[in-house]
Amino acid sequence: MITLLRFIIFVIPISLISFLYFFINDNDYYPGADFKVSDMPAFELNSLYENSVVNNLDLEGSYLINVWASWCITCRIEHGFLVQLNSQNIPIIGLNYKDERNDAIEWLGKYKDPYRLIIHDYSGSLALDLGVTGAPETFLIKNGKIIAHFSGEVNKRVWGDVFAPVIKKEKVVWNDQI
Amino acid sequence: MLIQIAHFLAILSTGLFLTTFVFSFLFTKRDKNITRLISRIYSHAFLMLTSSFFIYIWLALNDNFSVLYIAQHSNSQLPSFYKITSIWSAHEGSMYLWIVFLCLWGFLYSSYSPNDNILKARTIGVISLIAVGFLSFLLLTSNPFETILPIAPMDGADINPVLQDPALAIHPPMLYLGYVGFVIAFANAISFLINGDKSIRWEESVRIWSISAWVFLTVGIALGSWWAYYELGWGGYWFWDPVENVALMPWLAATAFIHSLSVSSKSQLLRIWTILLSIIVFSLSLFGAFIVRSGIIDSVHSFANDPERGLYLLSFTGILVFSSLILFSYRLPLLASKKLITSFSKESFISINNIIFGTLIFSTMLGILYPLIYEYLYLQKISVGAPYYNAIFVPATILACIFLFFSIDSKWQRTYRIINSYTSMLFSGIFSLAITISVMLYFVISDLWILVSLFTGLLIIIRYLFVIFEFLINKKYSNPYSIAAHIGLGLLIISISLNSQFSSERAINIKINGDDIYKDYRIKFDNLELIKMSNHDSVMASFIIDSPSGKTFVLNPEKRKYFTRGQITTETAIHATPLKDIYVTLGDQLDDGSWIVNIQFNYFIRWIWISALLMAISGSFLAFSLRGTSR
Repeated sequence: MITLLRFIIFVIPISLISFLYFFINDNDYYPGADFKVSDMPAFELNSLYENSVVNNLDLEGSYLINVWASWCITCRIEHGFLVQLNSQNIPIIGLNYKDERNDAIEWLGKYKDPYRLIIHDYSGSLALDLGVTGAPETFLIKNGKIIAHFSGEVNKRVWGDVFAPVIKKEKVVWNDQI
Repeated sequence: MLIQIAHFLAILSTGLFLTTFVFSFLFTKRDKNITRLISRIYSHAFLMLTSSFFIYIWLALNDNFSVLYIAQHSNSQLPSFYKITSIWSAHEGSMYLWIVFLCLWGFLYSSYSPNDNILKARTIGVISLIAVGFLSFLLLTSNPFETILPIAPMDGADINPVLQDPALAIHPPMLYLGYVGFVIAFANAISFLINGDKSIRWEESVRIWSISAWVFLTVGIALGSWWAYYELGWGGYWFWDPVENVALMPWLAATAFIHSLSVSSKSQLLRIWTILLSIIVFSLSLFGAFIVRSGIIDSVHSFANDPERGLYLLSFTGILVFSSLILFSYRLPLLASKKLITSFSKESFISINNIIFGTLIFSTMLGILYPLIYEYLYLQKISVGAPYYNAIFVPATILACIFLFFSIDSKWQRTYRIINSYTSMLFSGIFSLAITISVMLYFVISDLWILVSLFTGLLIIIRYLFVIFEFLINKKYSNPYSIAAHIGLGLLIISISLNSQFSSERAINIKINGDDIYKDYRIKFDNLELIKMSNHDSVMASFIIDSPSGKTFVLNPEKRKYFTRGQITTETAIHATPLKDIYVTLGDQLDDGSWIVNIQFNYFIRWIWISALLMAISGSFLAFSLRGTSR
């Protein structure tokens, strides 16, 4: 009887905890990261600086889209790393999300602009199509397909854990023309 | 500067808790002074931790946005009350509060438990060790003191609007007080096992602590359910959301535990159950923290986070659980009582109760984990919902109630003859059956489970009314707290079954000035207003509702858009009567200009929370009556 009880009280938690251990160590599992491949949605929006229109056909090849806003505190924390990425010739397109134009321009003036191009999405329509839940979020796009999506601050570690493996696996070649 | 002081105090308290732990296991002699010394070090550690927490509250109140966490979750425009509650609106701050509460229970225990024996010293040591584990987790992986330097932002990003609500402001603290309150029972059980002296009776002294924790847990869960109903607009009382379930599991285990504890504190029976349950309750509380904070489950509560947190919590919980279980299994022969449990004694019924509750906990755990296992194996997401849980909870609860019904007149350690109280049993049966059948015929109910549940709920309430009656007439003693709490259970079962029988909802398309009829209620869409508030824009609809009885009332559901986060929230409008709630939410506008409006008639839903409250109140009176037993 006691042996049976001992057996039961150990088998249940051991199987439970070891399963959870494997689950959180699984390669595909990373909080905030999503590797489902989907099409880049069609859009037509103004750019932040000039009043020119940007649409999805203007963007070719591989690039990053970073959702940010001047009201977003985490975006400020993330900003330094984006500047670093930009200096490594990685093209980042900013998606200014539900933000006043002047606030956004002032924000970029105060810090540094890491973006090659900024889309002004005041109503959040493109963000909605992308499935954005808040700022900051970052998308990796290759030839019109979203191949990685991360919700939250991108930093050196997230870059190494989430983006670098996909870039290597999918042989991403950055589009320098943007 | 204040930030660094608060941070430093938190680090210092971690060190002192570690010292407390080391001391409590270094000295094995029975010496009053050592126990006192350990209590004193612990109190100082606690004092430092609370000072650090109070400084943190001060920082939040004064809009110190150079603290990253405060900048992310508070805003200078918020009322002071929400500046404070914003502290527990996300991961870091709520973990901080969780730890402060954990140490608070330990502090109260060390000051109010007048024992001076080695068991108390060890108990404080175990609590300190747990505090060290969680403080390191907080400081290493989720530091709330992280700053934005050199320039602090002008304003904060604001608290999530759905959290700007009084019910939600107190729901997490209540729930946390409940979760961590079981640390005292757990730590006592562990130090009892380490000691290995089976003559020590620790059970009586932890009853008051465990029942108080149970009360907090009950209130916390009920508040969460209420908040989801009227603020999130979920329109019901329970959704089997994974995070609701991880709170339900410790509650079930705690309920079984306090029953089992009442046996073990009177006689030495069921000690194996009691100790095992104390380990299970606390482990499940930690498991809940892991599930919510590791981000492995998508839920309203999940916090955005990084993978290290999940790994740390899992490892810490795993180490704690396994060392407890190894200790438990090593001491098993010592705990096994030679005395057999008499059949039809109160103990026998409580051990049946333990088995039923164990089944419920295991099934809930399976329901939470099955989608994860499935996702792991087949890379597809599935969800386990109400049908699964209903199929298990309804029959098991009915079974438990039937055993409860027969146990009411049972005696401690003595068999009892059912024949002695057959009259009250028979009459309760007849009355309940009569009421159930008349309800069935009058309202044409054909669902067998609803009828059986209704019958069971009535059976318990009427049976207890007989007990009260016998007490008033024959002065036959019975435990008033148990009566009130179990009537609460009966009421809960009746309310849930009537709610699922009668509640209904419909979505209607309605234009401004248009009207519609639902269940004899005439609904007129009177007006739509745009309101500009300081931090949100709002569309407020106004519906004039004529009830069949001739009463007229106005309901104003809203949709709000908050500026800082761009979030859209739905504000429900509820017309509450004792019998039912009329619950209206505003949906989207269609292209032809009409609006989708969702109307629900929720019957007896208030009674569900009232029953939970009744249980909690009886528990708090019981805890109050146990003052002075904590020695």
